[in-house]
Amino acid sequence: MSTDQTTYRPEALTGNRTLLAIAIVFSVVMMAPVAWLVGLSIKDNKELMLGTESVFALPYTLVNYVNILYSSQAFGWFFNSLVVAIGQTTGVLILASLAGYAFARLEFPFRRTIFVIVLFGLAVPEQAVIIARHQMFNWFGLHNSYIGLMLPGMSSAFGVFLMTQFFKAIPKEIDEAALLDNASPLRIFWKVLLPLTLPAQATLGIFTFLHAWNDYWWPLISATRKEMFTLTIGIASSQTNFAQSEGLGFLSAQAVFASLPVLIVYVIFQRHIVTAVSGGAVK
Amino acid sequence: MSATIEITNVSKRYGALSVLDDISLSVKAGEFVVFLGPSGCGKSTLLRMIAGLEDVTAGTISVGDQRVDTLPPGKRGVAMVFQSYALYPHMTVAQNMSFGLENIGLPKGEIEGRVQQAAATLEIAHLLDRKPAKLSGGQRQRVAIGRAIVKEPKAFLFDEPLSNLDAALRGRTRLELAQLHARLGSTMIFVTHDQVEAMTLADRIVIMHNRGIEQVGTPMEIYRRPASRFVAGFVGSPAMNFVPLKSVTGNGRTLTIGTDGLGDISAAFQLPSSFTPEGASLGIRAEDVSVLPDGQGGIALKAEVVERLGDRTLIYGHLADGTKLTAETDGRSEARGGDTLQLVLDTTAIHLFDAAGIAHHSEGE
Repeated sequence: MSTDQTTYRPEALTGNRTLLAIAIVFSVVMMAPVAWLVGLSIKDNKELMLGTESVFALPYTLVNYVNILYSSQAFGWFFNSLVVAIGQTTGVLILASLAGYAFARLEFPFRRTIFVIVLFGLAVPEQAVIIARHQMFNWFGLHNSYIGLMLPGMSSAFGVFLMTQFFKAIPKEIDEAALLDNASPLRIFWKVLLPLTLPAQATLGIFTFLHAWNDYWWPLISATRKEMFTLTIGIASSQTNFAQSEGLGFLSAQAVFASLPVLIVYVIFQRHIVTAVSGGAVK
Repeated sequence: MSATIEITNVSKRYGALSVLDDISLSVKAGEFVVFLGPSGCGKSTLLRMIAGLEDVTAGTISVGDQRVDTLPPGKRGVAMVFQSYALYPHMTVAQNMSFGLENIGLPKGEIEGRVQQAAATLEIAHLLDRKPAKLSGGQRQRVAIGRAIVKEPKAFLFDEPLSNLDAALRGRTRLELAQLHARLGSTMIFVTHDQVEAMTLADRIVIMHNRGIEQVGTPMEIYRRPASRFVAGFVGSPAMNFVPLKSVTGNGRTLTIGTDGLGDISAAFQLPSSFTPEGASLGIRAEDVSVLPDGQGGIALKAEVVERLGDRTLIYGHLADGTKLTAETDGRSEARGGDTLQLVLDTTAIHLFDAAGIAHHSEGE
């Protein structure tokens, strides 16, 4: 038998050069707009007015970032986004956990029917209910308020579904052991089951935070006063002229600034995001 | 602390489906009782009803002098060890053991004392700071028992706690459980479908079958004097041999029992006048069927499969009429599949089962 043959290694996918080339091409396609944005943000606005191809040439400057400090409301919008994203995430985690526990563990009339109704929320697009919601929030005077920006996102059908499935996956013997340990239902929820759902909480929390941070549609409708803008709306409102031929560098710097928290959340919680996307396919 | 357990006319139904029907049983204080039966016979359901994890459709359950079927699980004074152990994965061993004690508001010092004492008893003191994921199956099992011990319950309930362990560890843990029972002197109810566990651990075995209790007795009573054909066939490995009856003749104590495969057998029996051979069968265990040395006349068995277990040899074969029979001989037997062997029965160890499966035992038994 020939000895120059190498042992088959199932993990050695990089050996397939075609796949590697395709992966590199896709990576470049995905990363190019980000690199373009960062490039624009470190170029002088006047230079960019002459042509955006100057992004490939020196000199570069941080003046656009310095200007965020002095000549923009970006910090206020940043704060608004932070309040809305954290508030919405907290609300979703509390409500989805309680609802998930109830659907998975408690016996109450019409449980299955109510669960199906909640799941309908996954199928109804936000645009379909936006006029009615706008009217309701108008009646209650909730527009241009933090609570008005947070509330719609708190009713997360996906969150309830995720938490219900996660609670269902916890063996019932755990509850039964706690019952024999003389724990009340609330104590079983709080001390025994809820800590076991931490991976699902992390996943749901990250997705909710990212969604709330990037949300454009509802804040655009609900926040009409500039001081209540979130970052996404604020940056859009910074567009000063047609085709953004002026202040493009400054706008890009604001966009990079807006992306930073998302980037930080992603880097810190990357493991949980990967787990969530793979959906626990193995184990 | 130990207490009696009284189960009185207990039934369990799920809608139209009856799972347990009019069960009554008394467990003495300090007794080790094993519920033994095939899957789906209702043994775990009965245990869970005692624990309070299933409601009782009819009847009452008392622990000590207190009726408990009206109380929630935590108020019944019983502790349970689950098949899956059901340890709290996010808590350390110490936290697992102390959780129940915290819930009843015991002072911290007493909780620590009880946990330390139980950990020392079970030799898990070095594991107290570990979480269940860092423990082996046997260690988790000990922690589950420790969690039960610290509560100082009136009775321990075990729901197939050894079934997740490998064979060697199961044997060792079985022995430790017996030692633990001897040390604590607590009332223990143990559910299993493993007859070796039942025979080795139990003071009394409760054989369950077909929504009810088939027989209650000591392990040797169950083994030597089974109440029914089901018990005779279920307990013992290999299972008891059954041969159809053709006739029963004779007066007084000694009867001549006619069969096709074994021929006519004389044995001492006192049968009721209603006994008829139609649908009845003769039962005899493999160990009571001996292989005669070559050349001696006996009952011919055509060997099909020979199982060598070291200390003994099991010979599976068929009689002249085709009836299957298992015989046991010593470990040095040189019998092989295809051989024709000569057998002799210990007629004092014969059982007769009527058409309804009710057992009648040889007077020699």
